[in-house]
Amino acid sequence: MTRVRSVVVAWLVAGRMPVILGALLITSSVLTDGRFLRIENLVNVMRQISFEGLIAFGMTFVIVTGGIDLSVGSLVALTGVAAALAMQSLAEADPAVRVAVGFATALIVGTSTGAAAGAIIARFAIPPFIATLATMLVARGAAFILCDGQPVHELPGELMWWGRGFVLEPVLGQRLPAPVLIMLASYAVLLVVFRRTVFGRRVVAVGSNEQAAYLSGIPVRATKMAVYVLTGLLCGLAGVLHDAKLMAGDPKVGEMWELNVIAAVVVGGTSLFGGRGTVTGTLIGAIIIGVLNNSLNLMEVEHFWQKVVLGLVILAASLLDAALRRLEPQ
Amino acid sequence: MAFSSKHRRYLSLVAAWSAGLCVFLAACGKSEQEGAPAAPEVEDRQSVGVSLLTMQHQFYQELRRGLEDAAKEAGLRLVIVSAEFDPTRQANQVDEFIVRKVAAIVVCPCDSRSVGASIVAANQAGIPVFTADIANNSSLGKVVSHIASDNVAGGKEAAKLLAAAVGGRGSVAILSHPEVASVSDRVKGFKEQIASYPEIRVAAELSAEGKRDKAVKVMEDLLQAHPDLAGAFAINDDTALGALAAIESAGKAGRIQIVGYDATPEAREKIAKRVIYGDVIQNPRRIGELTIRAIADFFAGRTPPAVIPVEVGVFTGDQRNP
Repeated sequence: MTRVRSVVVAWLVAGRMPVILGALLITSSVLTDGRFLRIENLVNVMRQISFEGLIAFGMTFVIVTGGIDLSVGSLVALTGVAAALAMQSLAEADPAVRVAVGFATALIVGTSTGAAAGAIIARFAIPPFIATLATMLVARGAAFILCDGQPVHELPGELMWWGRGFVLEPVLGQRLPAPVLIMLASYAVLLVVFRRTVFGRRVVAVGSNEQAAYLSGIPVRATKMAVYVLTGLLCGLAGVLHDAKLMAGDPKVGEMWELNVIAAVVVGGTSLFGGRGTVTGTLIGAIIIGVLNNSLNLMEVEHFWQKVVLGLVILAASLLDAALRRLEPQ
Repeated sequence: MAFSSKHRRYLSLVAAWSAGLCVFLAACGKSEQEGAPAAPEVEDRQSVGVSLLTMQHQFYQELRRGLEDAAKEAGLRLVIVSAEFDPTRQANQVDEFIVRKVAAIVVCPCDSRSVGASIVAANQAGIPVFTADIANNSSLGKVVSHIASDNVAGGKEAAKLLAAAVGGRGSVAILSHPEVASVSDRVKGFKEQIASYPEIRVAAELSAEGKRDKAVKVMEDLLQAHPDLAGAFAINDDTALGALAAIESAGKAGRIQIVGYDATPEAREKIAKRVIYGDVIQNPRRIGELTIRAIADFFAGRTPPAVIPVEVGVFTGDQRNP
């Protein structure tokens, strides 16, 4: 009997994230009379989470080093506006060139802002909370200043595919939205980086015990800086994809994204104290939050109640995760 | 490995949490579904999806009531959600309406330029789109009808009120919110009309983002920069009440005239106390009603006008008449 129990417990601990997600999927399907499970709806949910999901992978690296990045939402707005302005200024150029320039601009602005925050954190030992709070404010203000508060909307029509189009539409139909493919590809790459590369292992080492990592010859500062560069890069990617979704570079977007992204990472089982986390957990965490938002909308739950439910579910998921982890054999 | 009592306590705690949540979620779902027929797919095809800018402002609560009352009369079912100023959330809400194949979509855009791509998506799905209060100013997408207050006329009324309040002379300020097209129209109308008073000068135009806390700060700064300020036009009542708070705490109550917009109950109280001179009134309930009427017209095979202006008025309490 004890043996059976311990097997069940071991299984629950190892597979706790899929279990939580599965329970939520079943609840959602039942409560929405199956509307939730319609393929168009599932595609829609995945598309909705793809932007914040993309950033959440980078945030996982940051949080595993024991850091935090509050600037992600503002950075999406800033990179989006910068990319839109670049595309707008090339009105005469070939549309493909304009789109390429838009992507390049967003990625450069995102990486350099990330690098700036990372450098401040690594070089001057400023707490990440403060350093990224500063870049959050600067980036948000800069986004409004760049476009004078008015969303930039003279964008090439070809851009829209990146935010709203579907991959291989003639073959697959409307099954695989472009931003979802980009998110899943980023997931695959970052999963390998996190688990199989020297950099990935250094990230965990720095977060587990910074002193020990330093004494083992791990370049702690460079590793810390790199995770903010990575997150900045992903924010740039999300920023230009979001331009494509709205067909406008809007300085107002990304409000509260930092918290949604952190929630996805934490619901996904990554510890805010650093040293422990998984990229797959983050993907599942992002899906959990996306599914929840979607099914509450399908159930037509009043807006203010949605916030209450979302807060309680995040709390419940974290408690469940913590409880199951306590059962883990040491 | 066996369960310790600590483990068992934890498991039961978690079980209780999860069970409680399921019940709670079920209750949420149930209360909304009561009285509705069992076939949700058919239901969605007969319903109108509404994405409001916010549900926190009284204006939108009134607009919502107008929509709901008229929809009841017209026999339409409404699905009302709110984007709370977030253009991304609004885009997601419109996507969700498209997936649900609603019969028509009403949008009160969070941003007049960023809403275009969502309207294109609805157009492609063959779902008619109506905008209420704030227009689609992007070059993308086709809207059947736009239903909104005549904001330029409202701005002119505000200028007349403020000119009367300051006795036709002095410097005045505009507390604006230029991101919103309807507000730009108000400010445009205000400037056009105020230009006809040669002794009134617009000393400053600053954004208070339509928010009360921001308006307090902006007004405090204005009082420092322009000690001779005679009056201010606030583009909504949250802004007007914020400005009033700043003026009162600076001890200048009564010396600087305020004209607001919308005449919310709180603003009406202040107008009755004569600390706000007067307000331009919109009729959000009427906007809601006319929106539903346009949709009903469209469903009946008629073509509603592309722009449906809704009349504005002024409110100065009972004791005065400008």
